[in-house]
Parts: sequence; C-alpha cells; structure tokens
Amino acid sequence: MMISSTALSVIVVVATLVATLTPILLLALFIRDWKKGCLW
Amino acid sequence: MTGLDDPILPSSIAWGLLIAFSILWVVLGWWLGRHNKTAEDHMLAGRNVGLALATATAMATWVTANTTMTAPQLALQLGVWGMLGYSLGALGLILFAPLARRIRELMPRGFTSGDFIRLRFGTFTWRVFLVVSLIYAFGWLVSMAMAGGVLINALAGIDYRVGMTVILTVCVIYTLLGGLRAVIGTDFIQTIIIIAGAAFIAWLTIDKVGFEAIHFNLMEERPELLSLLFPAAIMFLFNNLLFGVGEIFHSNVWWSRAFAFGRNVGFRAYLLGGLLWLPIPIVAGFIALATPALGINVPAADMVGPLVAAEVLGLTGAIVVFIVVFAALASSLDSLLAATSDLVTRDIYRGHIRPQASEQNQFRATKVIVVLLGLLTWLAASYRGSLPIIGSLAELLYFTGAFVASAIWPIVAGLYWRRANPQGAAWSMILGSGIGLASYFLIGFYVAALVGAAVSLAVMVLSTWLAPRPFDWDRLSRDAAAEEVRSA
Repeated sequence: MMISSTALSVIVVVATLVATLTPILLLALFIRDWKKGCLW
Repeated sequence: MTGLDDPILPSSIAWGLLIAFSILWVVLGWWLGRHNKTAEDHMLAGRNVGLALATATAMATWVTANTTMTAPQLALQLGVWGMLGYSLGALGLILFAPLARRIRELMPRGFTSGDFIRLRFGTFTWRVFLVVSLIYAFGWLVSMAMAGGVLINALAGIDYRVGMTVILTVCVIYTLLGGLRAVIGTDFIQTIIIIAGAAFIAWLTIDKVGFEAIHFNLMEERPELLSLLFPAAIMFLFNNLLFGVGEIFHSNVWWSRAFAFGRNVGFRAYLLGGLLWLPIPIVAGFIALATPALGINVPAADMVGPLVAAEVLGLTGAIVVFIVVFAALASSLDSLLAATSDLVTRDIYRGHIRPQASEQNQFRATKVIVVLLGLLTWLAASYRGSLPIIGSLAELLYFTGAFVASAIWPIVAGLYWRRANPQGAAWSMILGSGIGLASYFLIGFYVAALVGAAVSLAVMVLSTWLAPRPFDWDRLSRDAAAEEVRSA
C-alpha cells in the first residue's frame, strides 16, 4: 500500500505552512510579553 | 561519514558565518547573564520565564542537529514513516505539559530532576537514575558535537575536528557566561532562524522539483519509501514516540525549564511548543525524498539534508542550511550543557562530594563543570571512529533509547502514583535499560526504546502491586525548602 502523490503533498504543504507561520506567532507572543512586562 | 569531494560552500564564507554567529551568541550570552549573582539565577533564570521565551526554548532545544540532519536521513532510509515517525517526537513535549505543571506544584523550589527522584524514591533509585540520565545526556552532547563537525565538513570542507571544536567552544563560552538566561535568550533567536530557514528550503524544493516528480522517481527507484506497510518503519514510529517521551520525561533539560518557567507558564509553553514542533521533522525530512528526482548520489545517509539543499538552491541553500544547523546545534548544545552541569553540580558535587556546599560554591562549581563537560564531549567526538558504539548520528542517538525509555514509568509513577514502590522504580530502570540494550544489538536500533519502556512498565506495575509504599506529597516541597535553607 503506497502513499499517493496527493496525500504526500497535503502532508508536506500543511507542515510547511505551519512552520512558516510559527516565527510570526512567536514574535507576536514576544511583543505581548514585553508590553506586559513578563518576558522573564 | 565522509566529506564531499567538492565542498558546496566556499570555506571563506563558512568561516565568515562561523565567526559572525559565534560573536553574536557569545556577546548575547554575556549580556543576558550579566546580572546573575547566585546559583539560582544562573541555573534557573530567576524562575519567572514568560510564555514567548518558554515556548521558543522548548522548541529550539527539541529541534536539534539530530532533527535537521537525522530527519532527512530517516526519510531516506525509512521513507514517509521515517519523517512522520520523527515528528511524533513532538508528543514528548505535549505530554510533558501536565507534568511540568505538576512538577512546579510539587516542588516550587526544586532545581533538578535528580532532586525529585532522591526525595521521592530515595538514594538507591536516585543513583540508578543519575547513571541513566548522565549516559543519555553525554550521548546527546556527543551526537550534536559530531553533527556540527560533519555539517561543516560536508558543506565547507573544513576539517571535521576543527568545525566540531569551534561550535562546542562557542556554546561552552556563552553557557558559562550567562547560564540558563543566556540559553533561553539565544534559543528564541535560534528558533526563529531554524524554522524560517527550514520552511524556506522546503518551499523552494517544492517549487523546483515538485511532488509529481518526487513521487514518480521514488516509485521507480525506491518504492519502499512510499510504502505505508514498511515494517521496520512502523516499528520505528512507535519506538521514536517512546524515545521522545522518555528523553523529555527524565532529562534535566526539561525539568530545569519546568522549574524556571513562571507560574502557570510551563503547561502552556510545552503544549504550544509541541504543537508547533510537530511539522518541523516533516519539513526538514521531506527534502530527502527528492534525491532520486534530483539524481543525487548520497555518500553517507546523514549528509542527505545539506546535499539536497545545496543541489536545489546552490550557494544560497548551502548558506541557509549552514546557518540553520549551526543555530539548531547551538540551541541544543547550550541547553544540554547548562542542564547537565546543573545535574552534576546538584546531584554529584553537592549530593555526593560536598553536601555542605553553599550557594556560592555551587555557583562556581557549575561553571567549572560546564567546561569539563565540554572537554569530555570534545574528546569523545574527536575519537568517534575508535569507539565501537558510535557509528552514524542516528545509531548513536538510538543507542541511548533503551536508557531513556526505561525512565518514563518511574517518573510518571513518581509524580502521580502515591503508592509507587521506590525499589521497583530503580529495578524498572535497570531491567528496562538492560533488556532494551540487548534488543538494540539483537534486533535493531529501532526497537531499543520500545522494549525498554515495556519492560520498565511491567516492573513498575508489578512491584507496586505486590508491595505498595504510600508517600506524602507535601514532603517534596518541605524537604526541598529545608535543604535550600541549609545551603544558603
């Protein structure tokens, strides 16, 4: 039983999309913590 | 592991990147740790780390050179299940989220995982745990130092030992200067670099090669890599799941963060970190599946990631991979150096050699121990070919699988099971590690953690069922506080 090209592409594209958005989310959290004075 | 005949990154550029990032990490480490005055500042960054830094450090530490280099290697050897299996390592972070909250509740003034095991299970179990934990920590340190040398050699042709020495030295210096605060601060920047870089390479590989070409060429040349019924790969998937859980549950790298994160931060940080970590091995590993489509000859499996990136993206790819793996190496090496030196300081130096050591004694000792750990790691990574157990990165990593998986159940039982038997906890680690190691050599690297965890579970459950030992949870915070007063 082989994985299809479509299934492979869906898995990889979704993973890459999440990875692309992660740095933005972390920076947003950093700014929020900084403004609230709770970085450390 | 051999280098490439023609390096894909000119050594002048590689040296420039090495020097620039080395200066950045060292200066940042010094700056972040400049106000550290006590062992607690140095080891636990003030015990009030916020969500952004906490999430990033959990992710960065778990994204190691093993993720960025072994994920492509496993995709090349075990196919789709290889990269999916590796991504299940995220469950370790996710499952640790409730444990982090429990640890902080039970021991608000705790320092190390060893502190917990000693107070919860007694001296014998504590010593067994220290052996397991230190074997794992050292194996992880050496595997990352090796990865650093291999990467620099593969990309820039710089001698393996020179590259490994530079990376290790930089991490030792900034960990020494800034302690956990330096580690967590640099981890934030390193996380952004690693994930953005890995996503960049993945998008360009998708754009340049395409899924149709990747799938077609795999079907022609390596159809087993697309198989959903690849037995060794499915075994690997479960093995990796348990390995990841075992690594995180027992290691002081994660416990020290549970103690360092602010109140109510640990649970959210580990949960979010795990969810965001999940796709990274897929992103990093998938590019290895493009090797047949690209017609790349891979001289050694653990070099496939850098090779594909350089083939697809040329000089830019080589530079991006170089920066990403340097960041991944540094983010894990620094964490492990800091957490292992804390464990050695608290549990070996203070626990076994100098029980009356003051806070200032421990502050000084932890710095000396970071340097000694760096030296030991350098020695083992320098002479890797002479050590029979140290083969490829993946083999070394999974050698420690039996040890870490055997620690899962003693930790879980210790935290949640009031009647857990202390002797049973020790024997579950001893027998789990022993039989897990036997399976590593007799069956394969992909079953060591699976067998270790199964044996450990059986011993833990059986011993507690036959001889339950009730425990008062309040003793943990009471005894930890009393010890802190004595060493103040």
